[in-house]
Amino acid sequence: MEAPPVTVMPVTGGAINMMEYLLQGSVLDQSLESLLHRLRGLCDDMEPESFADHELVYLLRGQQGNPFILRARRSLLKPTSPWHLRYLGQPEVGDKSRHALVRNCVDVAASHSLPDFLNEMGFRMDHEFAAKGHLFRKGQMKIVVSKLSRVHVPGNLENTEPLSLSYLVELSVLAPAGQDTVSEDMKSFAEQLKPLVHLEKIDPKRLM
Amino acid sequence: MGVTCVCQVPVAEGKSVQQTVDMLHKKLEQLGAVKQGNFWVDCETYHATANATGQQSKQLYVMHNSEAPLSCMALFEGGPFLTADANFDVLMVKLKSHFQNAKSHKVESRGARYRYCDFLVKVGTIAMSSSAKGISVEVEYCACVIPGDCLNLIKEFMQSFLGSNAPEMPSNKAEGQLYTPVDCVDPMSQYLELFGKVRKQQVLPSSGVR
Repeated sequence: MEAPPVTVMPVTGGAINMMEYLLQGSVLDQSLESLLHRLRGLCDDMEPESFADHELVYLLRGQQGNPFILRARRSLLKPTSPWHLRYLGQPEVGDKSRHALVRNCVDVAASHSLPDFLNEMGFRMDHEFAAKGHLFRKGQMKIVVSKLSRVHVPGNLENTEPLSLSYLVELSVLAPAGQDTVSEDMKSFAEQLKPLVHLEKIDPKRLM
Repeated sequence: MGVTCVCQVPVAEGKSVQQTVDMLHKKLEQLGAVKQGNFWVDCETYHATANATGQQSKQLYVMHNSEAPLSCMALFEGGPFLTADANFDVLMVKLKSHFQNAKSHKVESRGARYRYCDFLVKVGTIAMSSSAKGISVEVEYCACVIPGDCLNLIKEFMQSFLGSNAPEMPSNKAEGQLYTPVDCVDPMSQYLELFGKVRKQQVLPSSGVR
């Protein structure tokens, strides 16, 4: 029953300026195995980690400006794990030669009362989906290969329908602001995955 | 963690906040309690800015407890609560256009932490904007998680060093809650109620942290 260390300020550890560097691409279902085989060879660890997650996207509409978006994700394979709440900022406009999409990222682990709490805060669920796939790591890079599925009945994950005939491939790094060598490393890794998958910087604004 | 009871202790007649806290420390030491570091509990208030539907502005309380230094607890009074990690504070900074931090409403309780067998006693000075407003005493009985089984024991223990200032059974315990295990939000909602009372009270004549 020793007293835990008491500090004057709450622990933040510079988390306020974490940036997510992102490259995205996709592969058709029939090419999945070749991609997984290549990733197993290039990445750390013996076997990739499998996951099955349920993500809900919440919007908070203010009086003006764009709605505030928060993503709440929970694991379907490990139901007792905490929820993962994620805020992603606007992509950084800047150097067009920068190879990856860069945006501010805040990750919060939260208890299971998260959906009710977000509703009480004024957030409303905009859409939800299920994501199943594999997670690979190489150093600080994370490669996620996932199949996204539409949820027909809110909250019912028995009945889902794949959104497309492809798998989404995402290469991401979470690093403090200002580390520009990260996108160089990501680009050289992405080169090694060609021609199986072309990972590129996709600006979400262009899709709207 | 165990069952917790948080109460406010009035400042002794003719004494300052610090002197009353010192008296409590002395009584605990005479009882045989051993000082084991310090503790703090704080509470920040956020107001939801008026939204499109014109709903009444809600108050969101974000609290921290040194017993769980990497966590953050967010509560709506009488509503849902959330336990999250320390990055929740960073998220609230991002949400500042929707939830404004009422900085002048920040209340905290800081003080010494004593251990007496299975009891943890924390005597804190409640302060708002660096001025002392009162004294809080938190007693945790670590050996039990069911309030109905040990509240009488806690009350008896509190009477041994608080005398007539010992509280009645905690008011936020509805009948059904007495026999369900407590969680980490239980002491926080008691502190929230206490801080709410202190905010409404008059400023003490001998205010100022000594």
